[in-house]
Amino acid sequence: MSGAELFFYVLAVLAITSALAMIFTPRPVYAVLFMVVNFVAVALLYLQLEAPFLAAVQVLVYAGAIMVLFLFVVMLMGPAPAPLWEHIPAQRPLALLFAVGLLGALATAIRKGAFTPLTGTMSSAIATAGGQSQALAEHLYNRYLLPFELTSLILLVGIVGAVVLARLPRQKNPTTD
Amino acid sequence: MSSIPLNWYLIVAALLFCIGLFGALSRRSAIGILMGIELMLNAVNINLVAFWRYVEVDGLAGQMFAIVVITVAAAEAAVALALVRALYRSRDTVTVEEIDLLKW
Amino acid sequence: MQINWADTSFLLAPEILLTVGALIVLVLDLLIEDDTSPVLPGFTLLALVSAFGAAAAHLVTGVDDVALFMFAADPLTHFFRLLGIGTALLVLLVSVNYVQARSKHTGEFYSLLLWVTLAVVLVAGAHDLILLYLAFEFLSITSYVLVGWLRDDARSNEGAMKYLLFGAISSALMLYGMSLLYGATGTTRLTEIAAFFTIPETQITGLYSIVVPALVFLLAGIGFKISLVPFHQWAPDAYEGAPTPVAAFLSVGSKSAGFAVLARVLLEAMPAFQEHWTSLLVVLSILTMTLGNLVALRQTNMKRLLAYSSIAQAGYILMGLAAYSAGATFPADGLSGVLIYLVAYLFTNVGVFIGAVIFEQATGSVAISDYAGLIRRSPWLAFTFVVFFLSLAGLPPTAGFVGKLAVFYATVAKGLYFLAIIGVLNSVVSVYYYFNVIRQMFFMPAPEGAERVRMPASMGLALAISFVGTLLIGFYPEPFLNLANMSRDFISALPLL
Repeated sequence: MSGAELFFYVLAVLAITSALAMIFTPRPVYAVLFMVVNFVAVALLYLQLEAPFLAAVQVLVYAGAIMVLFLFVVMLMGPAPAPLWEHIPAQRPLALLFAVGLLGALATAIRKGAFTPLTGTMSSAIATAGGQSQALAEHLYNRYLLPFELTSLILLVGIVGAVVLARLPRQKNPTTD
Repeated sequence: MSSIPLNWYLIVAALLFCIGLFGALSRRSAIGILMGIELMLNAVNINLVAFWRYVEVDGLAGQMFAIVVITVAAAEAAVALALVRALYRSRDTVTVEEIDLLKW
Repeated sequence: MQINWADTSFLLAPEILLTVGALIVLVLDLLIEDDTSPVLPGFTLLALVSAFGAAAAHLVTGVDDVALFMFAADPLTHFFRLLGIGTALLVLLVSVNYVQARSKHTGEFYSLLLWVTLAVVLVAGAHDLILLYLAFEFLSITSYVLVGWLRDDARSNEGAMKYLLFGAISSALMLYGMSLLYGATGTTRLTEIAAFFTIPETQITGLYSIVVPALVFLLAGIGFKISLVPFHQWAPDAYEGAPTPVAAFLSVGSKSAGFAVLARVLLEAMPAFQEHWTSLLVVLSILTMTLGNLVALRQTNMKRLLAYSSIAQAGYILMGLAAYSAGATFPADGLSGVLIYLVAYLFTNVGVFIGAVIFEQATGSVAISDYAGLIRRSPWLAFTFVVFFLSLAGLPPTAGFVGKLAVFYATVAKGLYFLAIIGVLNSVVSVYYYFNVIRQMFFMPAPEGAERVRMPASMGLALAISFVGTLLIGFYPEPFLNLANMSRDFISALPLL
């Protein structure tokens, strides 16, 4: 087994076991930590897929920012919070059935799938731009400008929304004069 | 050229996606469901980057898409967790048995 | 690939106006202390009207181009721009009093309204999977915040939470489908995807085994937005918990955006797979109409009734897409039926929600039984309700009748007789629960001490506009039919970059 394959196996096993551990652990803080492990494993997979910038973004944003946010809220919530709805008798088994069924369907689809193979080692866009970060930057500000601007708007709306929803309630007094 | 076939990455992504889906569908706490959703979005990202590496001939659409997904996941998580705070704050004074406001 | 800024600003003028307007509203909100000041809604109105004007100018001058490589400013986009901004205008009129009475975050509400309108418009014009997903999520996230905006009301929080969780799962599914589509074709541009499928070598089983699941996943996510069964579970709770003007916007604006996405993805990117998605759409349409109507029969809460009614209406609109035949004469092509129905639906559904808002604002109630004797307490309001319900049921001479006619015509022209029969049966069933409400208003005695229902001026104006629109389309449909006809020829040969 070559080095690349070993690397892949280790990461795949790590990602999958940490995902399962996250689902089944009863403690929310452990779940968040398992997720962080999962995200780091996936980031390393991106490295193997020759996408170093994305690996860095994955660690910074996903493992770094989003999971820290989760951790904060988990800590603020205290011990097991009240469930959202009444106990549906077969919820877990049904979910399991659905998820496993979907997995089977996807696995079959992937096995039978025919994907146009890649010719060459690195796409020409990267080659002409002289490196991946440079190519990404060029695309971000040129071809993908609209999505880029829209992501900044979506983050703004996220901030406004989070403030509107989570702010401590003010005293109910009329407008100050 | 990597020696690992594309399908392996896709299978791992599909596995993670279904694990995340199971997590999201089988839990009753909002944070648990949200973590399942993050796992699902992450799995799709693996798909996108793998496809970029193996299928896309010219351009960086796969990576762009993945970056966009990460950003959206961040905004969604922020709003979702703020909503969780608002929800549990407004429920603090009411016991679970009385929460039956929205029925069939 | 240089960006031509002059062209871009021209093509994206409505979007730029909405964005700048929303940002200014946020800033003004910081500067203005008084929550009830008319500056904020006034400025929002200005932003919406100017965006509407720009979009109308685009439509009239026949603009058809691609902006920033991804946003198609073509006739279909113009149509949905007008639809989305029009919905926002009516919703704004009716929200001013509602919002001021309930929370101090009025500035955020107006800017969120502008953002959500921007999202609707961007979704309609997206020509690339990346922009499509992004705009779709933009719409979703803004809607979650708007639904949960009454953050001290537990019902609002719960509705928003259910909406968010359901929506996030569905859009993750949709995203997976998009990734499969990208993997199968190597590109995220809709026209390139379509071109890929027409190459003979690609029509092999291997590709189909990827694309059909991708299609199903995509329908899951888009179906959530349109509230198709079985992805509709969030709608009743979200509509009931949301501020009623927001529910009005969700039922029309958000749904229109979903249909725009569906039209673009199915017709522009995947015309090669039409047999597959037609059968899927037929099934979804039947399920949606039937379940929506049957459960609506049991409702005693006005907002939940309207929620299930909206779900059923989505089923009717979907029939138009299921009956799509490219290149058929107007209106047998199906898509124009969808467009006509959406315009009729705009006036009708927003109108009936406006009526509900007025009633709720005056009496504080959303129970149908409290509408008893409305004909004596406020005859004009009751009369508008009658017209709106007639239109929802699809009876002449209202807009709803024209919409249903267009959709049924296309369905029959395509040969989907079973679907058409189910549609007619469902319309008959819906008459029952719509007229149940009317019966409450007209024939039940008013409760003791019930006064006249007061109607603030802006709400009255919005109600009047919806009322006139509903009847106008019913009596004089030609201009709207022309609009739909113009908008349906949108699949243009865009330059591949």
